[in-house]
Amino acid sequence: MTSTLEQLDTDTTTRVASEEPWRTIVWDDPVNLMTYVSYVFRSYFGYPREEAERLMLKVHTEGRAVVATGNREAMERHVEAMHGYGLQATVSRGEP
Amino acid sequence: MIVAGRSGGEGVRLVLETEEAMLLSELADQVDSVLLLGEADDPALGRLLPNAYPDDATSSREFSRYTRDSLVDGKRQAAQRVRDATAVDDGDDGVVQIELDQSEAWGWLTFLTDLRLILAERVGIVEEGDDAASETRDDYLRAAYEWAGFVQGSMLEVLDPTDS
Repeated sequence: MTSTLEQLDTDTTTRVASEEPWRTIVWDDPVNLMTYVSYVFRSYFGYPREEAERLMLKVHTEGRAVVATGNREAMERHVEAMHGYGLQATVSRGEP
Repeated sequence: MIVAGRSGGEGVRLVLETEEAMLLSELADQVDSVLLLGEADDPALGRLLPNAYPDDATSSREFSRYTRDSLVDGKRQAAQRVRDATAVDDGDDGVVQIELDQSEAWGWLTFLTDLRLILAERVGIVEEGDDAASETRDDYLRAAYEWAGFVQGSMLEVLDPTDS
């Protein structure tokens, strides 16, 4: 039991350290309609309505929101897609 | 302009007055031109093709190199489809009816977004001058901006009703 737990802890630490999670950030802009941004988040990322609205409101009120995390290539694909939809999006490395 | 659901299922049906169709066709052609010319000093392009790495010039260039052509192609295709769908022959009068399925509707939504991004940038520039001519142009661009937002908002109400 104890040894199993230790094993799990080690695995988790290794995975987090080697993953170097990157982020897709969407920034607020004064042009895009809130309904459009929310619809893009649902359609592209497949987020449920509630989560898409939460992220959209976060972009609107805080000026930006992390809409996805993962490896760099995946984040670049997401940012390219967001640019295709006309949203202001950037790639950034997660905080250590 | 009437924006309604399609009797046959998903998508949206648009009914435009001839003048509205002509205006939209002209605006779509201008969006296509902005992308075709791709002038490096055009600030509107910065809105359409944002910098993916604002703090990393090397990654920014790489990203742009790998994505720019396909983004420009996609945006131009969307603009050209709207331009062609709204093209009005000289002899036409009355209304232009357009039926869009879900995927075609996305093309319109993204085109309307690109159009509004460009108009917002142009209005911002025009605001710096204050002579009568630029005020008139400013009014025209602002009206087009508001109208494009109204069309997009109406389409979203049909495609994504919030009360369901």
